Amino acid sequence: MSLLEARELNVWFDLEGGGTLHAVQGVSFALEEGERLGLVGESGCGKTTTALALLGLLPSSAEVAGEVRFHGEDVLAGGEESVRPHRWTDVAMVFQGAMNSFNPVRTVESQIVEALELHAVAEGAVARARAGKLLESVGIPADRARRFPHEFSGGMRQRAAIAMALACEPSVLVADEPTTALDVMVQAQILELLDGLCRDFGLALVLVTHDLPVVAQLCDRAAVMYAGEIVEEGPVERLYHSPRHPYTRLLFAATPDLADDGAPVASIPGAPPRLDRPLVGCPFRPRCDRAFGRCAEERPLLRRVDGSRAACHLNDVPA
Amino acid sequence: MRGADYVIKRLGFAVVTVFVAISLNFALFRLAPGSAVSNLARVPHATPELHQALKREFGLDKSKGAQYVIYLKQLVRGNLGVSFENQQPVSHNLWVALKNTLPMVLLGTLFSIVLGTLTGVVAAWRRGTAVEGATVTTALGFYSMPTHWLGLMLVILFSGVLPTGGMTNDFLINPSFWTHLKDLAAHIALPSLTLGLVLYGEYTLIVRSAMLETLGEDYILTARAKGLRPWAILRRHALRNAMLPIATLVALSLGYIVAGAILVETVFSWPGIGRAVYEAVLQRDYPMLQGGFLLLTISVVFFNLVADLLYFKLDPRITQ
Repeated sequence: MSLLEARELNVWFDLEGGGTLHAVQGVSFALEEGERLGLVGESGCGKTTTALALLGLLPSSAEVAGEVRFHGEDVLAGGEESVRPHRWTDVAMVFQGAMNSFNPVRTVESQIVEALELHAVAEGAVARARAGKLLESVGIPADRARRFPHEFSGGMRQRAAIAMALACEPSVLVADEPTTALDVMVQAQILELLDGLCRDFGLALVLVTHDLPVVAQLCDRAAVMYAGEIVEEGPVERLYHSPRHPYTRLLFAATPDLADDGAPVASIPGAPPRLDRPLVGCPFRPRCDRAFGRCAEERPLLRRVDGSRAACHLNDVPA
Repeated sequence: MRGADYVIKRLGFAVVTVFVAISLNFALFRLAPGSAVSNLARVPHATPELHQALKREFGLDKSKGAQYVIYLKQLVRGNLGVSFENQQPVSHNLWVALKNTLPMVLLGTLFSIVLGTLTGVVAAWRRGTAVEGATVTTALGFYSMPTHWLGLMLVILFSGVLPTGGMTNDFLINPSFWTHLKDLAAHIALPSLTLGLVLYGEYTLIVRSAMLETLGEDYILTARAKGLRPWAILRRHALRNAMLPIATLVALSLGYIVAGAILVETVFSWPGIGRAVYEAVLQRDYPMLQGGFLLLTISVVFFNLVADLLYFKLDPRITQ
């Protein structure tokens, strides 16, 4: 039994002018104890929506189908009531670096203590001492705990957010673009911190990012998302060295290489398809450099291809 | 100490504002056409000598500059002058009117703040539902009603049930304390309700938009992710932040309580300060007008100061 498992997760949003947007289309993946999974893809591919769906955090305007299993238990089955006990104690979340995870009118300490007391981990003076320890574990002196969020720098706020996420000793940490909008030095520090904490606490990690090098540095496995679905999923080295989906290959090729100066930055022409209408054939076909007849008619399914999973008809064609 | 600096700065600013307002008020009423003397001298067989005598009596024969200096000097001593109209000290006139106005307007304002905040929070919390639609439509309806019209409608609706004019029933002779209180409560109901209904719509709309903005903040999502229940999120994270703009609005409207409500006081024959000031304008009763506006200025500036200090207390981000 996997630690955390998503099965056939689907999310629809009602659009203002009528119609629905199928933001997440049948996403399935499993996460083992202490494993690190990167969820990558370009903006709007459904990776953040998937991450929020894991904790049942989507707005009420979203319709969700499918299962999220934690130790085999379907946490979404009973709505808010069944998912709430798992929040923060089992699965905690770190949001975007630019995001204000802290309420500006309350001290950082009180907001960490709030999580501790809510889940009966500790109370009163013990909880405050623990909040200080948590902050120290992410490199913030404990005497800063009584400060307000605006007295922290962006990097410190993100460290504090990570400390808050660890408060109830969760077994899974979902990090949604944790380093976006932080400068490069701070980014590196935050990634190092996440790496160390995952190792020390045996945390499983779901890292949502559009930054492939970050995934390569931090994760064991990666799932590449396109147009609301996972198009390829497998160990990071395998994805890098022998991608089984053209999108994965082009995505890695589009990552600028600092050492190779002068080389033009490759991009993938075109834009992802609109998700407010049914898709026919392979969603990536219009941008694919190796599309053929079948791609226009039949949607490829995610299937096992030597050690990873990919959704591409090319894998059926003998090389 | 940055906090003390902030308070001192705000206090100094308040004092300067009051002084400027006093000077402007002094000039403003003397710029208005007509004069107090021609009103008072409108009696049979009035002679130019009577005119002159009245002018001298009220000190209106002195230059404007001299009048201003005298006014300021007396003001410092706490003397607001004597009403041209009834020869009573202005401070006494104002006090009588204020005593009548305060309970009525305070009651109406409190009603509007409580009802408006509640409906505003409910509308934001139930966003996109029929509850929100009904709440907002009702609020807009009352917000856009002319005060005097709503007052008259309430008179039609409740005449016979509740008294529709005056403050007390003059035919009660030597009433006991409780009878008097009951009588007063019956008389205060309609004017307060009128005022409260007109004001509450504004609160609903402002509280709703402040709440919606707060509910969209990232820390609300974090609070949900932490496992907080909706009620706890509302109480611990949303309300306090949404209260920032609301606190200002409440403080500002409390400042205007002293101004009374001319329209409501007229419809319900309420002998309050709004009517007193209105009558003073008609009579060119300069000392009374200056006194009334001084009271209004001080009240508005004072509550502005309260709003600033409240903000300082509520929002740790304010340092200068």
